[in-house]
Amino acid sequence: MKASVSSLYQAVELSQPIPPLLIGERCNTNGSKKFREMLLADDFDGCLQVALDQEAKGAQVLDICTAYAGRDEKADLKRFFTMLIGSVKLPLMIDSTQPDCIAEILKIYPGRCIINSINLEDGGANLHKVCTLAKKYGAAVVALTINKAGMAMTTAEKVETAQQIYDLAVGEHGLRPQDLLFDPLTFTIGSGDESLHDAAIQTLNAITQIKKQMPGVRTLLGVSNISFGLRPAARKVLNSVFLHEAVEAGLDAAIVDTAKVIPLAQIANEDRDVCSDLIYNRQKNADKNALMAFIDYFEEKGDTDDQDESQQDIAAEKLLGQMVLKSNKDGLDDVLTILLGRYKPLDIINTLLVPAMRYVGELFGKGEILLPFVLQSAEVMKKAVAFLEPFMDKADASDKLKVLLATVQGDVHDIGKNLVDIILTNNGYKVYNIGIKVPAETIIEKAKEYDVDIIGLSGLLVKSAIVMQDSMPQYKEAGLKTPILLGGAALTPKFVAESCVPGHAEPVVYCADAFAGLKAVREFEQGKLEPTVFETKTPATARKTTKNVEIDTNVPVPQTPFLGKRIVTDVDPTALYGYVNEQALFRGRWGYRRGKMTAEEYAMLTKDTVIPIYEKLKERGITENLIQPKVTYGYFKCHSKDESVYVQDGETTYEFAFPRQEFAPNLCIADFFKPETNGGDVAGFFVVTIGEKIGQIAKELFEKDAYHDYLMLHGFGVEVTDALAEYWHEQMRIEMGISAQRPDDVTGFVTQQYQGSRYGFGYPACPDLGAHEHVFKLLDPEDIGVTLTENMEMVPEQTTSAIVAHHPQAKYFAV
Amino acid sequence: MKYICINCGYIYDPTLGDPTGGIEPGTAFEDLPEDWTCPLCYVTKDNFDPID
Repeated sequence: MKASVSSLYQAVELSQPIPPLLIGERCNTNGSKKFREMLLADDFDGCLQVALDQEAKGAQVLDICTAYAGRDEKADLKRFFTMLIGSVKLPLMIDSTQPDCIAEILKIYPGRCIINSINLEDGGANLHKVCTLAKKYGAAVVALTINKAGMAMTTAEKVETAQQIYDLAVGEHGLRPQDLLFDPLTFTIGSGDESLHDAAIQTLNAITQIKKQMPGVRTLLGVSNISFGLRPAARKVLNSVFLHEAVEAGLDAAIVDTAKVIPLAQIANEDRDVCSDLIYNRQKNADKNALMAFIDYFEEKGDTDDQDESQQDIAAEKLLGQMVLKSNKDGLDDVLTILLGRYKPLDIINTLLVPAMRYVGELFGKGEILLPFVLQSAEVMKKAVAFLEPFMDKADASDKLKVLLATVQGDVHDIGKNLVDIILTNNGYKVYNIGIKVPAETIIEKAKEYDVDIIGLSGLLVKSAIVMQDSMPQYKEAGLKTPILLGGAALTPKFVAESCVPGHAEPVVYCADAFAGLKAVREFEQGKLEPTVFETKTPATARKTTKNVEIDTNVPVPQTPFLGKRIVTDVDPTALYGYVNEQALFRGRWGYRRGKMTAEEYAMLTKDTVIPIYEKLKERGITENLIQPKVTYGYFKCHSKDESVYVQDGETTYEFAFPRQEFAPNLCIADFFKPETNGGDVAGFFVVTIGEKIGQIAKELFEKDAYHDYLMLHGFGVEVTDALAEYWHEQMRIEMGISAQRPDDVTGFVTQQYQGSRYGFGYPACPDLGAHEHVFKLLDPEDIGVTLTENMEMVPEQTTSAIVAHHPQAKYFAV
Repeated sequence: MKYICINCGYIYDPTLGDPTGGIEPGTAFEDLPEDWTCPLCYVTKDNFDPID
């Protein structure tokens, strides 16, 4: 239920990602002497300056009140609004009790404003008029919890009054709940008035209750009343702590002097405790109540409210958070320079940047933002930290939690590990990313050398899961006292819990993605990290048993144009684009998932953001020669026996063994090749690569912290490689004369609307990468620049291989 | 509503179900067993996005 207000220039969400929405209070004849005097002197330029100053100091909406006994409120309001509309970029709030004044402004206001305010003091006559206007002009409305009996003092009265107003405004006038901002009123806790000792508690509770009882509505407070009667320096601190508590209670918006709100991080813990005691009316000293303790405390501290301090504004703090959230790097150095004048660099990181990144992570977790945007936020974070680092003491960095990351032995895949690196680094942890194909011995050595607190292991391959399992006892024997986090496509919580956890003395934890990794690191910090456990859930709903399928062993063997291998290096890269699985690229590789978006919103995102990135990469693929397709492939006589296919190359026979499904229909790849008794068969093989250039450039992007572009280019490379495999598989079908059935579109290719199948080595139906040894003997992929790692994985990463079956019943299946 | 596998592009159409996975035609995506996986690339249900 989003709701925003707007000016001619911009829209502002009522519920800010980092609450509260700050509404500037200074353009008010009742609240500001300076403003009142200028208005009385008809100095409207001066009044405008007050508005502009607040805009510069971080206000997000401006409250405007020109009511003053003896003046024509309507004329003043109209004249001032006319100036404001053209000069101030912020949305405005009409602060008037007069429906005719409000109507006058609504007529001329070019955006969506907020009306301040309605209440039930007169039983509802004014409320009726103002709500009618609000409905007509689509304005948001502030509602004060005042009824016929006066201002509501207790939580119950405040909530009850709010409910009455809600029933009228929403029930009768048809306003939307999210257009209402309830102000449960703030009374001073600084006057010593007995009846007001718990006034802050009543108000805070009312905020929570109102939001619970009336879902969708927003809450608002004029904060500074809380400290009325106290000394200015003490007021600023109390106001700021109270504002923080109110936000914790669920407050959405605050009417404040933005120049005087102190960020919580800047308030000493002791100050904060004294304020909290007063707010929550906690008497800690038998002789004096919370108020006396508060007054004495600030008396002793002395009045430090000098001019410099009063000029402090929270604009820079808030702006920095926004820059991370909105991934905006413009002017980042300027903002940081301002902040360096107020905080230690480490404090900027820990109290401003890290919480902003954490918030970004939470939004990702809730499906409200997508991975590419998280990476852009991380780029801002990284840039900010790089700017701050020269100002930091060496000691500052040393107490960070240290994490070692590696892709395990034999595995070259580093995108997952690098995403974890990005997320952890930019949440304030020290990451030692020691690369790919790292043997356990090296991991142990480096973990000791860097004295790390946690080890994170990554690996995409099925084989890598086994490597992780097998290496656990090694870590234990080496005496490592660090927990181990495991991530990778082939892992499951069950496998980690049953096969990895028992091997190591410290917690071993399955992490589904980079944010699960972050969560685990945080739990470790809090002493709460537990090893992954796997509980068998209630059995899945009964399914139909799939019947056994009879595989025809008498299909004709196609004529292949040759036997043996051939190399092709003149594939036109543009021909591949038609085979790219765009859905898998956009949603899977890039993370542009639909999440909570409507179909229309997602279509917009695709059109405005995703397609342009894709088109640009397609263009670069050609103009910068990023895609250099090379193919080695061949056809070989073969026959099957049980679960193996025996492939004949000249005098040599190579055995390819495949697993069989342990459940119906109990398929095995070997079933799709005819046995010797039926005359044998022919098998196709290919190894295709788009070369190493994309991999190299992606690596450079990662190294220079261009996280977003790194993810985009890497994903593009993965899918273009797969497109080349798809394209070449089709060429082979054409050569074999089995291409009569051609898919209409990419989805048709995805779902194998063609004869036969290609099975990639390392995938479930043919998981054994060891088969690559034979494939390399058959096809000599070294001739197209492809080599094998010690774990039988192909390099460069943008390479794929397959065994090709022509059998009409050959399709993908899981083992 | 149809759902697409973000890993491979397979589309789950409730009117067709998933015969290879023993899922009857007419089964809504929400009603698929928690351990159901993509019939083409075997990723889990949370890797599916709604379409149309």
